[in-house]
Amino acid sequence: MTTKIKKFVQSPGLSSFFASVASIGIGLIFGYILLAFINPSMSFYGLGKILFAGASSAEKISKVLYQAAPLMLTGLSVGFAFKTGLFNIGATGQYTVGAFFALYAGIVLKMPWWAALLAAMLGGMIWGAFPGVCKALFNVNEVITSIMFNWIGLFAVNLTLSNIPKILDKISANRTVNLAAANKSAIIPKWGLDKLFGSPYMNISILITAAVAIIIFIVLNKTTFGYELKACGYNRNASIYAGINAKRNIVLSMVISGGLAGIGGGIYYLSGTAQFLVIKSLLNMGFNGIPVALLATSNPVGIIFSSLFISYIQVGGEAMQPQFSPEIINIIISVIIYLSAFSMLLKGLINRILTRQNARKEKEKVLHSSAGNRGDGIVTDAAISNKSESEGVTK
Amino acid sequence: MSDYVVEMLNITKIFPGIKANDDITLQLRKGEVHALLGENGAGKSTLMSVLFGLYQPEQGTIKINGKPVKINNPNDANVLNIGMVHQHFMLVEVFSVLDNIILGIEPNTAGVLDRKIARQKIVELSKRYGLSVEPDALVEDISVGMQQRVEILKMLYRNNEILIFDEPTAVLTPQEIQELIQIMRGLTAEGKSILFITHKLNEIIEVADRCTVLRKGKYVGTVDVADTTREELSRMMVGRDIHFSIDKKDVIPGKVVFTAENVTVPSRHHKNNAVKGISFDVRAGEIVCLAGIEGNGQSELVYALTGIEKISSGKMILEGTDITKASIRKRSRLGISHIPEDRHKYGLVLEYSLANNLVLQRYWEPEFQNAGFIRTAKVLNYANLLIKQYDVRSGQGAATIVRSMSGGNQQKAIIAREIDKNPELLVAIQPTRGLDIGAIEYIHSQLIAQRDSGKAVLLVSLELDEVMNVSDRILVMYEGEIVGEFDPRTTTVEEIGLYMAGAKRNTPRTVTAASATSKK
Amino acid sequence: MIILADIMSATVIFAIPLLVVALGGMFSERSGTINIALEGIMIVGALFSCLYLVSADKSGFGAVHPILAMFIAILVAGLAGIIFSLFLALASVSLKADQTIGGTALNMFAPAFAIVLTWAIQGQGQTTIIIPTWVRITQSAFGLTPGKDPNFFETFIFKNFYLTTPVVLVLLAITVFVIYKTKFGLRLRACGEHPQAADSVGINVYALRYIGVAISGFLGGIGGLAFTIAAGSGFQSTVAGYGFFALAVMIFGNWKPMRIFGAALFFALFKVIGSYSASIPFLPSFSGIKNSDYIYTMLPYIVTMLVLVFTSKKSRAPKAEGIPYDKSTR
Repeated sequence: MTTKIKKFVQSPGLSSFFASVASIGIGLIFGYILLAFINPSMSFYGLGKILFAGASSAEKISKVLYQAAPLMLTGLSVGFAFKTGLFNIGATGQYTVGAFFALYAGIVLKMPWWAALLAAMLGGMIWGAFPGVCKALFNVNEVITSIMFNWIGLFAVNLTLSNIPKILDKISANRTVNLAAANKSAIIPKWGLDKLFGSPYMNISILITAAVAIIIFIVLNKTTFGYELKACGYNRNASIYAGINAKRNIVLSMVISGGLAGIGGGIYYLSGTAQFLVIKSLLNMGFNGIPVALLATSNPVGIIFSSLFISYIQVGGEAMQPQFSPEIINIIISVIIYLSAFSMLLKGLINRILTRQNARKEKEKVLHSSAGNRGDGIVTDAAISNKSESEGVTK
Repeated sequence: MSDYVVEMLNITKIFPGIKANDDITLQLRKGEVHALLGENGAGKSTLMSVLFGLYQPEQGTIKINGKPVKINNPNDANVLNIGMVHQHFMLVEVFSVLDNIILGIEPNTAGVLDRKIARQKIVELSKRYGLSVEPDALVEDISVGMQQRVEILKMLYRNNEILIFDEPTAVLTPQEIQELIQIMRGLTAEGKSILFITHKLNEIIEVADRCTVLRKGKYVGTVDVADTTREELSRMMVGRDIHFSIDKKDVIPGKVVFTAENVTVPSRHHKNNAVKGISFDVRAGEIVCLAGIEGNGQSELVYALTGIEKISSGKMILEGTDITKASIRKRSRLGISHIPEDRHKYGLVLEYSLANNLVLQRYWEPEFQNAGFIRTAKVLNYANLLIKQYDVRSGQGAATIVRSMSGGNQQKAIIAREIDKNPELLVAIQPTRGLDIGAIEYIHSQLIAQRDSGKAVLLVSLELDEVMNVSDRILVMYEGEIVGEFDPRTTTVEEIGLYMAGAKRNTPRTVTAASATSKK
Repeated sequence: MIILADIMSATVIFAIPLLVVALGGMFSERSGTINIALEGIMIVGALFSCLYLVSADKSGFGAVHPILAMFIAILVAGLAGIIFSLFLALASVSLKADQTIGGTALNMFAPAFAIVLTWAIQGQGQTTIIIPTWVRITQSAFGLTPGKDPNFFETFIFKNFYLTTPVVLVLLAITVFVIYKTKFGLRLRACGEHPQAADSVGINVYALRYIGVAISGFLGGIGGLAFTIAAGSGFQSTVAGYGFFALAVMIFGNWKPMRIFGAALFFALFKVIGSYSASIPFLPSFSGIKNSDYIYTMLPYIVTMLVLVFTSKKSRAPKAEGIPYDKSTR
């Protein structure tokens, strides 16, 4: 009976889930302590907002869904890259470039929304290719490349937008023109969801992104392409021996990752209720994809839920104003990320404790046996597998 | 007695599942060069690691100059004036020779390094012992021989009296080996005592005073080198009764399946070549075994064969096709299967399921995918078939994550996958390492079945039993060359042992079908 | 000519934060830990030192003893940086977690924490901490009187003279000395190149790696203060990617202090061109293009990329960086 429980506890899916829940719990506790520190009398009020504001009205719920959509995509972007062994911190840049491509297609080329979304994907793919190529061909760390391209993307888009008068709003020239005025067909349709939820923000974007998540899930788990990418990420040597082209896969992986973030940009800015601002700071949506991916351990279906969760507490955070700054949510999120770096450890720790118990038992057996080695010099299974465990086989 | 500067008495060291040292006694006299001889897995490195404080023995005592001591870590060993030169040098490549020597005991005033004093001492030691080094040269720029001298100077700088060398000549050129032998003689003339681990009989004869032989973790004996012969040493090292437990039917080898012509493979770790212009071939219906002590080029040769490493010169031909520059997948398609030495590195993706690992070499074939989509049902069927056929045991069957499987079953999975490809040439490196008798017998029967059905098998093995029982032809590798070719039925283990230890060699020659030795 | 002095002065003031943070990154990486969290460390250092400066201003202490107050602020920045960096050390060295993820978490935490704290202290929406004017060192501190038309040297030295500049230059000299001439420096480098070798001669690799990260925290914190001063508009909970720029400077400088100095000046020059392109007359002005200063703003980042790509072959990172040291893998 206890062995069955042990096996269940050791199963990777369950321990990941528990680790995520624990991270969230600790993050929220930390956030509460911070609230109490800043304004003790209002701390419960603040906590209440974080936990419940997102569900408090139909409008709030639709805000959660509406903001979760682009977050889901940046989360998929980061998660996809993680699965293939890369850290795509450049999702922000790809998101921004994607947004630009979408707006250009929609406003200047007067394309319908779905074509603009494809353009967004194209923009993100191009932008994701740069860190991929730099890593594959020149072995430049993809984190630094991505960060540089975040900024290059931001400024390049700002520069280009400033020089396309058609795209800009007539009155305030540092934002893009209202989509409704420029090209109604570019706005993502609502399909009646706005009436259902009673909010003008609601549209089908969440359905689109959920569909994308499922597509990514299928690609990763049901196609030979996904098989190759994951193999590369898990064990480059074995994948090389299996004949897989590692360099090509690095580039493809970043391109797809970029494309996903790009669609995210398109989804957000083609909603008709947001206008792209020409400002000098990086958009947060790309960075928030990181905790979304980590919480879900890069599982596309899990990302659907973690993006909803992050969006939910973000709405709660905004509702905390003016007593508290909404950045508290970012603090909670960063604590969650920090803890997720440990969750893999926690799993490994549990495994190692159990293995060490086994090793000790084996040692005892051999010590007290007079036979010692078998004369033909054969060692037991346990010896080899234990030795390789202690040799740090984990990646 | 006070005659002995080191006494290791009744040392037993156990790792999970194996007695690496079983009641071993070793005594080192002052001023002697004492060799420690044994095959792979004999326990030599373990014993020396115990002396150096890297491991603690389960049973036994160590005495230094007659006093019992406890050596818990290398610092304790250093305090007792014991020093060790490891097989893989512990040198910081971007540091100079001088900095490497003083690292850890830097002469300083209030933290500021005083390199002048160090330099004086090093120059003096260098002159006294004949260890020529360039103090300011960077370690990455100097020869391997000089790197080794730096390691020796490290020990002398710390006033070590007891010096342990772990396979010191593995990485040296013949000239450098001679230099090292001179150095060792100089060291003992000054009163140092030397223990050195080796499997090379020539060197033992040349420089050692006494030699202790270990076999499978047990103490075999200690001899005075002046009173012994290579043959006797070899017999002590490997000699035992071999049971010919496998019934092989006679198969006449057919056409040549694989030819290696003058293949040279560079080494990753040092400047010598790992494989030096080897030529051999493997024919259909035969099992050729590359025998030899680990580290003599077998691994590199196999990596070159499978395409994981590039060769620097030579040709490789599989069934008439030149595969010297072919990609790994192409070679796999043309009919090479490979059971790798390091199953965790090249053989398996540990985070994948058993089923996914079983199709690792074939997932792109039309049987398993359709327009890019994996045909999960087919993959599962195939996996279950292999699992049953090869008795691969796992917690959840085909869905088990391979990391959680035992080493033996992981190995069986790899073997299942590679043999089922029905390759023209099966390359197996240590395929039975870590397996129980039942599994070993099964795998041997598989290898023989391949051969019987007219395929070619290239086996690399360190287990002489396996070598003698399973192969049809034995090629002994030593220092990157083939030094001898044998028919297991007409040779003895001791004879092979001599070749493995470099004491004997035939002129390497290309073996063709015409000059094949007759088989009874 | 004055323009040249202006540019040189601006280059120095922008190079100083890059230099000190890159040196910090170097200490960390030389001991074996990749420090992705420099961005966050800078913000934390800047946050606490600026808060101190504001309080010193309020109490009047600062106006009376500007140099002393500034010196204390620098120490505060360094100390805050050390404490913050210990979180990274804990995760990377002791718990052997993924160094990039831990660093990213800290990078997210720092600006959010800065905004929340500033909001709490200064009131809602007041998220900028304004630096008092007495931090700038003028001629009068040296007993000189400024001329009516400042000449070249006066502009070069005094236009942007803050205590952080000489302090950082002194730290550079100390760094060169410590890394190459002391027992500590030798052992630190050994831990980053070949921790097994260091361990085999009795060096405590874990302790040294902690110290390496702590030093990077100290220098990074000071760099945050230096950046805020250079940026000129007070502390706004961001350092505009300088933490990553500093990593690029460190790589370009091949992890060697004097070369990092040169690299910092190189990149700072481009940053100055980027920020002040409008006021530099001899640059092409692209008058037909709107917001053309973005072209120059992009320049430092593009240059960084090109440099990284072309020097990748010769790049010689500490061999064991990023790999958690595990004694059992001896």
